Amino acid sequence: MNNKKIVIIDSNIGNVGSVKRAVNHFGYQAIISNKHEDINSASHLILPGVGSFDEGMKKIHDNQIADVLIEATTIKKTPVLGICLGMHLLATKGYENNKETNGLNIIPGLVKKLKKNSEFKLPHIGWNQIIIKEKNKIFKNILDNTDFYFVHSYEFICEDELNIIGISNYCSEFTSIINQNNVYGVQFHPEKSLDHGLQIIKNFLEI
Amino acid sequence: MLRKRIIPTLLFKDNKLVKGINFNSWRTVGSIMQSVRIYKLRKVDELILLDISATNLGKRIDLDLINEVANECFMPLTFGGGIKTIEDISCILKSGADKVCINTASINNLRFIEEACKIFGSQAIIISVDYKRKGKIIEIWSNSGQVKSNLVFEDYLKELESIGVGEIILTSIDKDGTMDGYDIETITKVNKLLNIPIIASGGAGNFENMLDLIKSTNVSALAAASIYHFTKKTPLDVKKYLKEKKIPVRL
Amino acid sequence: MNNINQIKYCKKCIIPETRPHTEIGEDGICSGCKYFDQRKNIDWDKRKSELVKVFNKYKNKSSNNYDCIIPSSGGKDSTYQALKVLEFGLRPLLITVTTDMLTPIGRKNIDNLKNKGVDYLEFSPNSVLRKKINKLALDTVGDITWTEEVAVSCTVTRFSIKMGIPLIIWGENPENENGGPKENSDFFDDIIQKHDDEWFETFRTNGLKSSDILDFWKKEGVKDIDLQPYTFPDKNEIQKNGTVGIFLGHYLPWDGHKNAEFSIKNGLTTYDKWVEGSIVSYENLDNYQMRIHDYFKFLKYGYDRVSDWSSLAIRRGRMSRKEAVELSRTVGGKYPDTYLGKGLEEILDYAGLTKKEFDNICDKFTNKKIFKKNLDGTLQNDNKGNLIKNNYDNIE
Repeated sequence: MNNKKIVIIDSNIGNVGSVKRAVNHFGYQAIISNKHEDINSASHLILPGVGSFDEGMKKIHDNQIADVLIEATTIKKTPVLGICLGMHLLATKGYENNKETNGLNIIPGLVKKLKKNSEFKLPHIGWNQIIIKEKNKIFKNILDNTDFYFVHSYEFICEDELNIIGISNYCSEFTSIINQNNVYGVQFHPEKSLDHGLQIIKNFLEI
Repeated sequence: MLRKRIIPTLLFKDNKLVKGINFNSWRTVGSIMQSVRIYKLRKVDELILLDISATNLGKRIDLDLINEVANECFMPLTFGGGIKTIEDISCILKSGADKVCINTASINNLRFIEEACKIFGSQAIIISVDYKRKGKIIEIWSNSGQVKSNLVFEDYLKELESIGVGEIILTSIDKDGTMDGYDIETITKVNKLLNIPIIASGGAGNFENMLDLIKSTNVSALAAASIYHFTKKTPLDVKKYLKEKKIPVRL
Repeated sequence: MNNINQIKYCKKCIIPETRPHTEIGEDGICSGCKYFDQRKNIDWDKRKSELVKVFNKYKNKSSNNYDCIIPSSGGKDSTYQALKVLEFGLRPLLITVTTDMLTPIGRKNIDNLKNKGVDYLEFSPNSVLRKKINKLALDTVGDITWTEEVAVSCTVTRFSIKMGIPLIIWGENPENENGGPKENSDFFDDIIQKHDDEWFETFRTNGLKSSDILDFWKKEGVKDIDLQPYTFPDKNEIQKNGTVGIFLGHYLPWDGHKNAEFSIKNGLTTYDKWVEGSIVSYENLDNYQMRIHDYFKFLKYGYDRVSDWSSLAIRRGRMSRKEAVELSRTVGGKYPDTYLGKGLEEILDYAGLTKKEFDNICDKFTNKKIFKKNLDGTLQNDNKGNLIKNNYDNIE
């Protein structure tokens, strides 16, 4: 426990406190930071986020952490967990607010609006189940069809199907959990999903 | 499949937990921390915390309280009451709330809401619309039911959607605290009108009227307070009943 | 309150506006005092004859069962209730649901009542489970004696049904003295609140329900039946049996102090001085945990037994307000280091808590706004661990 350096990227807006609280719940310490030296020396990185894709990438560029994040992820192989918008930013491109914005391109894919018919509301808000597509360390003690808390209007469309380890259903199927080696992305908010959400975070921190 | 959400609401005034009828006769019913910890024990879907005195008294937002409550919650927390500026929203979210609920300030200045949605994202902005029915007209009231606005109900709602608001809490002042059943007619109308999720509030008294509401209107969520304070029923009891009736809920 | 950090007190007594269910009016007087002022208008003779009517309605007509149940702790009020009911010629069954940590004085007083020529039933809920519940209740709603309040109400009502004794005679509806909402007190002539399920949910549980506990511990194998002592019987069952719980305080002028005088004359043993944290020697003698219960009222709302008793005395002309304020400052709100001579550590040990756990829970439930703080934001305390309120009286 003491030899982990858990760094939560400071997105300036929203829920970093909740994520920190969830990490603390297991007795781990986390720091909230955008400093290069912290990101470089992290044992685990968490990329939270709420808001739009273009705003999210703008913050990453304003804080000048795009390169160091990519390096930590792809070269150092630091375990990374992207949450909600944080998951989206791992993609190649995003199409929010009628703009095409480049993402971090850590897991190839595109972020587009959820496909739905008029009966379904957007944002997709509330508790929905995940269907596990592939066994994975992150699912330890998590049963198939467990509910987690979602709040989003956009989805991550993976280029490589093998990166999809969990899906959910809202009008049509969408990807709710992605994984490529050391990089994870969850569409839902584990820090707001009670016991099972906390379990996901615990599983991630044990990687 | 997305579940219907059953959301308890905690109202407070001067740091005391209160409950009222028709936005009147507020009674202190206990300590806020007590109720929060009970809902934490119950692992409810979400929690809404509303300061009903804030706007009218022009008080500062109680960030310490929000922080204390957020420390207890590993489920989504919404805070509302007296929110007027971007700075307010920023402080509230930093203190640990996930969403803010705005009422009066929205009626007074839609541009503020538009800006808030852009900065914080739709998912963080809920607008609370309190109304009374006067014959065929639906009147919108602000300041905890003290001030009548001239806004046209449907137009206002559509505009909220267009500027990017994430959710709407619709409260019938006439029904609030009565435990007499929801205003199904209006809620149905609003749910059909808008593409964003609606949370219905005001009137929950028993399982049957909550089932009736969901079946008739297909709302996304039900918020309630009185039913959980003054009766044996808990949010879980409601959900167990709904599940039996084939409504998708998280158990 | 103009300043959220200052408590507003009743101008007449010293009850603060933070107290649940009580209201302080525009004139600065609390509903408790206002109710008391109207006591002189009550026709007690009329009320007494109503009581006789109630007795006649519900008592056993066939001489084959008890006329009523009296929930009894053996304390000053239940001793008074029992002896008064005997005076009316009824045959009561006294039922004690023992406290979690019964004291020797408590035991003595139960035995005293048993010697008054009544049939007596003593019930103790499973103490292993009970301790766990009290610990959970302390953590969840800041109430270490949750099982006391709840078990008495639920179990007595259940016995009424099981034994076919419809009439339950409770003592006083606390909302009369407190000035609680009219529809929940039974102070007035026209509204006679009964001790029913809604009243129970609102006033006895602090919001925590037995179903909450059941759900929380389901995985550990706790069943419905295990929590029966804490579950209020179903409305239908109550109706079928015709169970009705009346408050004697509606029909007879109630005064806790006078009850004590009466009961002492009839064998009640009291403490040899004021019980710690209070200004009387004759109340809450049967449970070592009681002071912790009161302390949490202070942490949550800024008042405790001292305020209650002083206010009661002020209303009856037995104490000046100035004296009351001083007592609330010097005697009230102190850290519960002992009770009835027993040390806190021993009391906590019985409840399965360490002092550190206890202090953490205290902190969680403290309404930080009403207490003095140091410059760094932490709560001030004197060198004995006592918190200090921002104000003990209204600031002009």
